[in-house]
Amino acid sequence: MHDEVLKMGPHDVGGEKYLQIDTEDHGMTYWEKFSNGLRIAVSAKKIITLDELRLTAEKFGDEYFQMEYFERNGKALTHACLNKKLLTDKELIAGKKRHKENFTIPIIELPDPKSIIHLHDGEPHTHSRDDFQEDEKGEGPPDYFLEMLTIADILTEKKLIKMEDIFLKIEQFDNQYPARGIDVVTRAWVDNSFRDFLINDAKNAIIDIGIKLESFADIICMPQSDKMHHLVVCTLCSCYPRALLGMPPSWYKSRSYRSRVVYEPRKVLEEFGTIIPDSVEVKVHDSNADMRYLILPQRPKGTEGWSESALSALISRDHLVGVRLPKNVI
Amino acid sequence: MLYDNKSSSSPCFDKDSGIRVAKRSSEGHCRTPAYIRGKIGVIERYCGNFPNPEQIAICHPKPDVIPLYRCRFYQKDIWPHYTGNDCDTLELEIFEHWLEPATF
Repeated sequence: MHDEVLKMGPHDVGGEKYLQIDTEDHGMTYWEKFSNGLRIAVSAKKIITLDELRLTAEKFGDEYFQMEYFERNGKALTHACLNKKLLTDKELIAGKKRHKENFTIPIIELPDPKSIIHLHDGEPHTHSRDDFQEDEKGEGPPDYFLEMLTIADILTEKKLIKMEDIFLKIEQFDNQYPARGIDVVTRAWVDNSFRDFLINDAKNAIIDIGIKLESFADIICMPQSDKMHHLVVCTLCSCYPRALLGMPPSWYKSRSYRSRVVYEPRKVLEEFGTIIPDSVEVKVHDSNADMRYLILPQRPKGTEGWSESALSALISRDHLVGVRLPKNVI
Repeated sequence: MLYDNKSSSSPCFDKDSGIRVAKRSSEGHCRTPAYIRGKIGVIERYCGNFPNPEQIAICHPKPDVIPLYRCRFYQKDIWPHYTGNDCDTLELEIFEHWLEPATF
């Protein structure tokens, strides 16, 4: 069978030739955070499952990569809600219009421009009204965010979710999840029995130190060593240990990283500034189903006797995905 | 076509046994990437049984709960022109109905 026939859709990018990776994380806007919180609130309550949302996005065809990540996920949620008759087209249009009005900034009466005379190059000068600008970047939120606000309203009215569910997710992703993975790693660095527990049974080891994982998925911890270097990707979407690391960075969700890292991991690592010696095996984990992966870096040399809190300053999220290595202190 | 007739609960494959990922096309939602179909590797571990995502995606009222495995492949066996080291590997998760026994 011809390999082209096997490709499932626009999302199935592993092995594609693609461009250089933008290795910088560009963070998230408020509306991206809100959309993400809504998506998780909806899937956590099983109103619409993640697999349904994925299938909906995969059916976008050529439009899939014409939309950026959160827009694509947001539009998939809208489609799925319409398909399941959780809202009607009419409700969607009316809701978007109502929310759009909240972003309409009233025009403030300015003094008559012609009455304001000021100097340019020493010459008295007036302006016409068009020259006054209240806001240089007043583009307002993207269209899909108005859809997300509308869906949040309607699902709340139907008592399927609560607004607090969404705001809790935003708060957890911003302030709680990113610290957890770092806590787990520093504990493993100072406590060998915990390290062994973590490598053998990560989910229970993490629960054992008091971290309550909201994730349904199982967790596997892969330790970096002098013989093996691990790194993680999700070629089909963006599976990531969110309950331990927060939201994945921009590059983790990018087409370039997802397509290339499976067939040229050493070259991709070099783009992140990570050179792996020839004597070390590189192992790529495609996080494509129900497992989530936490990479345990080696404890940096020169940190003997350091506290967990001091060690935590040496760790970044990129180390826990395997694209970078923490620096030795000596 | 969707493979919705598998509901076995005990895993068929042992750790380290040789497997080949089925080289067939799929419709709908599926977690077996195209690049790994038809490739030969080994079972790294049995992960437990999980609901079939192909059925969850189409709102099947009672999705089959089926064995999931982590499978290991040599990169040079996946990509004919792999430029890294011969020892480099890739691991991913494959549901049992996508696996066939194989020998190297």
